[in-house]
Amino acid sequence: MKENWRLFDPGPLTVAENMALDKVILNARSANLAPNTVRYLQFSPHCAMVGYHQSVELEIEEEYCRQHGIEINRRITGGGNLYWDESQLGWEIVAPKDTPGIPKRLEDMYRLMCESVVLGLDKLGVKAEFRPKNDIEVGGRKISGTGGTEIGDAFLYQGTLLTDFDVDTMISCLKLPIKKLEDKQVDSFKQRVTCLKEVLGYLPPMKQIKTALSEGISEVLGITMEPGGLTAAEEKAFEKELPNFQSEEWIRGLRIMPQENDLSISEHKTPGGLIRVSLRLDRNRQVIKSAFITGDFFAYPERSIMDLEAALKNSSCRPADVSNTVRQFFTDNEVNIPGVDVDDFYHALYLAIDKGW
Amino acid sequence: MQVKNFVIPENLFYDTNDYWIKVDGEEALIGMTDYGQNNTGDILYLELSQGGQRIKQGDRFGSIESGKWVGNLTAPLSGVVVDSNREVESNPRKVNTDSYGAGWMYRLKLSNPDEVGKLMAAKDYAKWVTEQINSEQEIE
Repeated sequence: MKENWRLFDPGPLTVAENMALDKVILNARSANLAPNTVRYLQFSPHCAMVGYHQSVELEIEEEYCRQHGIEINRRITGGGNLYWDESQLGWEIVAPKDTPGIPKRLEDMYRLMCESVVLGLDKLGVKAEFRPKNDIEVGGRKISGTGGTEIGDAFLYQGTLLTDFDVDTMISCLKLPIKKLEDKQVDSFKQRVTCLKEVLGYLPPMKQIKTALSEGISEVLGITMEPGGLTAAEEKAFEKELPNFQSEEWIRGLRIMPQENDLSISEHKTPGGLIRVSLRLDRNRQVIKSAFITGDFFAYPERSIMDLEAALKNSSCRPADVSNTVRQFFTDNEVNIPGVDVDDFYHALYLAIDKGW
Repeated sequence: MQVKNFVIPENLFYDTNDYWIKVDGEEALIGMTDYGQNNTGDILYLELSQGGQRIKQGDRFGSIESGKWVGNLTAPLSGVVVDSNREVESNPRKVNTDSYGAGWMYRLKLSNPDEVGKLMAAKDYAKWVTEQINSEQEIE
């Protein structure tokens, strides 16, 4: 017999309320005070969030957010900065780490969680795929980013689903590696993401989207779901936690050694065309925080550059490691870029990294 | 000692949260095992408790982030943090690349040395890792 999980769908909440609920539900599950849960998240008003270990100052355009009524907060999960408007839908799974069928190795777990949403999207007629390490894409374009955390023996895994997305506001309210780029390149950046409305040509009603996701999650996890609210223990904990998630201490508290967020841009001319590289670097940690590669070369398949960007994200920026990452990528993937070879990409990246020192 | 490709030095103690513990008199050096770092993936951020902090076995004593996952570091023993590895905090990949060496995390002054007796020896940890790997293969 399939296990019955709670389906918790509280509707639109403020970002502080949603973040407090993440902690409350995960804590309660860890203490056996709540059932296994699938939750949907919607936000009102719109908001900008940083990942648990990020700093607001480095990741968010605070003045723009203030002017446009965009709330700022910090997630309990990892990952990067993100903008969440009122039309987007979040999904979340909370269960014990030793739930039968859920892998212990994190990368295997990401795949399983994302595959449940991929199946849900399939029920809406969207052919999506898991993109390692933890994104969901349609035709090479990201439609859902995910992240997770754990308390005690329980985990929380959550993701966004871009339904109808305001990409211009996202670019304005987040510190992204494209602020110094030309319009044509910004357009190219916009092509990195897509949304349900764009893929389907229309936006299905939210209820239909949730039903499809619930079916996908139920099938992949082998469970059934029944709508339910917070337990009494969760209600009490929520009242206690909310002020913390509304506090400046939570939102702006820097938990780790200062990070860096250098933007470095390079250009490298090849027989096949110009390669432009824009990198966000954390020099302290010697990490490429994100990469954006454009140019007038032709890559086959077209998505291969976005896949290369994904491979570079959060990878080491030491030259020898960058060389390995790029070479491994071209070994593992069938990519054809006339007039541009592996060394050209390494060289373009090296120029950007070298400028960043 | 080795299980699959995972190194398990024989002179250390272990727990099921994948920490290794090197006991030296009243102090213990603590880090993440090779198997643990492989399960976690490339580590991007580490937040370690600072020197002087008193912790109890099972307490959260830091956080770790990899691939958008924030995990808790759970103290394998009770004591006072004598030192935390600032270098590994600024370059957490050392946990991936040198988990038993430069990737160490804490030096702890033990407040309850009896707890050491409940940790696993290398051969017991190797058995536990083998069981974990086998159960993962069943899932696949």
